Amino acid sequence: MTKKKVFIIPCSGIGKVFGSIGRETAYIVANELSREKAALECLPLIVKGKSEVIEALKENKVITIDGCPLKCSYNNLMEKVGKVDSQFMTTNVVKENRDLKPEPKIIPIGENTKKLSQKLAEQVAKEVDRLLEEEGVE
Amino acid sequence: MQKKWIDYLKKREWNSQMKKKVGIIACSGENLLGGTLSRAAARIVVEKLRPNNTIILCQPLFAAGGLERHGGQDERDFAKNHPTITIEGCKEECSKIAVERYSGPVAATIRVDEIMEAHFELNPESREDLGENGMKLAEIVAEEIAKKVDEYFRRE
Repeated sequence: MTKKKVFIIPCSGIGKVFGSIGRETAYIVANELSREKAALECLPLIVKGKSEVIEALKENKVITIDGCPLKCSYNNLMEKVGKVDSQFMTTNVVKENRDLKPEPKIIPIGENTKKLSQKLAEQVAKEVDRLLEEEGVE
Repeated sequence: MQKKWIDYLKKREWNSQMKKKVGIIACSGENLLGGTLSRAAARIVVEKLRPNNTIILCQPLFAAGGLERHGGQDERDFAKNHPTITIEGCKEECSKIAVERYSGPVAATIRVDEIMEAHFELNPESREDLGENGMKLAEIVAEEIAKKVDEYFRRE
């Protein structure tokens, strides 16, 4: 049986820095903090309805990270997969860290944006562990 | 009365500016290098190469996000009434499919993987960080998009 993992699905926003925080957070979680426990998948592919991807998401836990109140990631997941196990908003980490004002530039992202992403990634990684514990995965 | 008149003129000016815009929809896929390249190229086009003639449309918002608040409807309406160029990071063509499903035919499609193959000497570092070569490649993709924008306006 394939080992259970947690899919991290950030929104694909490219208009504002809040989308970039979500994407950077997802990369930190999948590549560093929850390596082997978390994986990424393309939101546009989910929206398109690729069946293998949808099935994999249904069989595993899913965390969405959104950058604005329209919550594209959460809404798309609910519509296509029918569930989201946990959700995060990047705007919350910005509110919690008023001293770290994210730079507006998106490519490449600024130093404060990186720091905010790291902070959010730590919260998401904890949630990954909690969700896997719930599933009975060591 | 005067304020109404000013608002009217502002709206007319805004409409006239928007008429000249081409919508750029990048795949933006988070799981692959082509997605990062498509995103970077889209930003280069709207910020540097053709800032007055292009606007970014958010792909997932376009397809479903925020529909209960009509969030995606504006994007769909824009793409119905304006030309669109999609940038595809892989062969799945998620952006083109979304635009054709909800708005109509696209004016052009740029395939990042084809440009990557044609410039294999420019090997980007990773999907997380394109590095110097990756950014050069993104500039090339952006130039291709800008050419398509110009072609559209020449035809018009």
